[in-house]
Amino acid sequence: MIQVEGLTKIFHDKKRGKIVAVNNLQFNCQKGQVFGLLGPNGAGKTTTLRILATMILPTKGEIMVNGLNIVKHAAKVRRQIGFLSSETGLYDRFTPRETIRFFGRINGMEDKIIEKRMAEIFQNLDMEDFQDVRVNKLSTGMKQKLSIARSIIHDPSVLILDEPTVGLDIITARTVIEYVKSFRDQGKCIIYSTHIMQEAEKLCDMIAIIHQGNLIAQGTLKELKKNSPFDDLEEIFFELINQGEN
Amino acid sequence: MSWKNIKLIFIKELLGTIRDRRTIIAMIIIPLIFYPLLFAGIGYFSKLGSIKSEEAASKVIIDGVEFAPQLVNYLREYEKIEILIIEDDSHAKLQNGDIQAILVIPPDFKYKIEQGEPNKLILKYDATEAKSRIAKQRIDQVIEKYKSEILFQKLSRLDLKEEFLTPLILQEENIATAKKMTGAFLATLLPYLIIILIFTGAMHTAVDITAGEKERGTIATLLVSQISRLEIVLGKCFAVMLISFTSMVLGLFGLTLAFLSGTSIAGGIEGLQFGISINSIFLFFLVLFPLVGLASAVLVMVGIYARNIREASSYIIPIYMLTIFLGIISISQGMELTGKMFLIPVLNSSFVFKELLMGKIYWNHIITTFSANIIIAGIALFGATRLFNKEEVLFRS
Repeated sequence: MIQVEGLTKIFHDKKRGKIVAVNNLQFNCQKGQVFGLLGPNGAGKTTTLRILATMILPTKGEIMVNGLNIVKHAAKVRRQIGFLSSETGLYDRFTPRETIRFFGRINGMEDKIIEKRMAEIFQNLDMEDFQDVRVNKLSTGMKQKLSIARSIIHDPSVLILDEPTVGLDIITARTVIEYVKSFRDQGKCIIYSTHIMQEAEKLCDMIAIIHQGNLIAQGTLKELKKNSPFDDLEEIFFELINQGEN
Repeated sequence: MSWKNIKLIFIKELLGTIRDRRTIIAMIIIPLIFYPLLFAGIGYFSKLGSIKSEEAASKVIIDGVEFAPQLVNYLREYEKIEILIIEDDSHAKLQNGDIQAILVIPPDFKYKIEQGEPNKLILKYDATEAKSRIAKQRIDQVIEKYKSEILFQKLSRLDLKEEFLTPLILQEENIATAKKMTGAFLATLLPYLIIILIFTGAMHTAVDITAGEKERGTIATLLVSQISRLEIVLGKCFAVMLISFTSMVLGLFGLTLAFLSGTSIAGGIEGLQFGISINSIFLFFLVLFPLVGLASAVLVMVGIYARNIREASSYIIPIYMLTIFLGIISISQGMELTGKMFLIPVLNSSFVFKELLMGKIYWNHIITTFSANIIIAGIALFGATRLFNKEEVLFRS
């Protein structure tokens, strides 16, 4: 599970000066739960997820993944997380099988276990037909399946997914959502950032709305609806954002 | 730090590079096929051109035929000189290439010869035209022959022997062996070629696996793995080193092939004898490896700093120009480095290469060069790792 306490990230830019990308965030994500981070572009979603994935350091705050502090035990934390974002790419000149083997190895897995797990994942994600085709010959959907396979090869208990459906066609996006649901059913703890309301509505057990680095609301969809005059998440979202700006 | 992890990154980068069509073109097709074909082509066509120019007779107009009948006779006897009658547009004809030369004989030619006064003949030709230059050579030969004849006549009239004209003879003896001559020949160009080939070989891969990874978004997937950033940088750097070294070897091989294919058509070179000792070869590699490491580490560091491939390429251009500049200094004849100048990277290696090729082993130069390049390569690697830990560098957009 993930516990975030007072997470703040400040960047220093030569031209713009001090930029507070994320300000005092506080949330928890439990096992078997999809925690949605909802916000417009530039809200601080990607920064938050990069910190959770140990790629960048927080300026302030304490973040625990399965009881481990992500700053002090970054290497151990990495073993337990799978990261996928709309920006993460794949190696064009490798086949899916080579890609997965490489990522298994750099995550400290033994070859025997990699091969066994790879066969399972390829079967589950229906990837067997193109497992030996180079990535540059694959369709967007096939590539996204491979990206998912890459992020789960080491069987992480926590998945950090940063807008994983951006740029995908409707069918591939739906497939991705189905997989996220199945990972939740397997008991994984999933942080899912998006700016697509329908996705959040369908998928997320908990929703946190961030705007300009601040967490402006948090709760289940039911709770958010209860505290708002609107019944539609999109309307609730705009109402909260307007309130935040005022 | 785990060597296993470094090896994983090393193999991944190597495999990716080998599968890149651009690498194959740059590393194999250009040096091994294109260079030899290009040189062979140039050799073939230049030979063809010179044969054609040599075969044709030179058309020469003589202005004042009647003033030097003996000389004109000699010119007529020369098989490949054809004497034409003077016309009003002789100059235009020379300019158009219809004739190759005009020889002007002054009216007082005979008188001056008899009086023993210097005689001035004017030869008009076009130095930009090969055929015209050949005509000039042919006329020169005839005039030289005629001049000697006049001299001998004068000497015999004075009752002097031919040796009278050569009171001093300087006999030259080159004590350099064929091996040394070959070494000196190689020392002029080889160090420069090695340096340029190392840098050009490293450039593409270094940029592709650093800035290229950022551009394609694969870098994030490495950062969330178990591999440390130092291991990533080392793995990448070793891959660039191997690619750079291999492309240098293939490049040199290709250039040798090209040189031989070009010169075999143009007549070949004789007397080449390679005589570099095993010790020198060992020392050569001892100096070469830190240089390859230095080039790779610096280029990897620049690649990591850059936002994308385009930006990396623009940062690399000045480094490449500086390398060419240092390489050119090493070609300059007579230039010698003093002790401290062996601390200057790249330049130091090229001078040690030169010394080794000439059969000279100066330990202080070798040790200074080796240490300076290793230390600078180490600093660049450290810098690259530091940059890899800087989030503002990794996630700049």
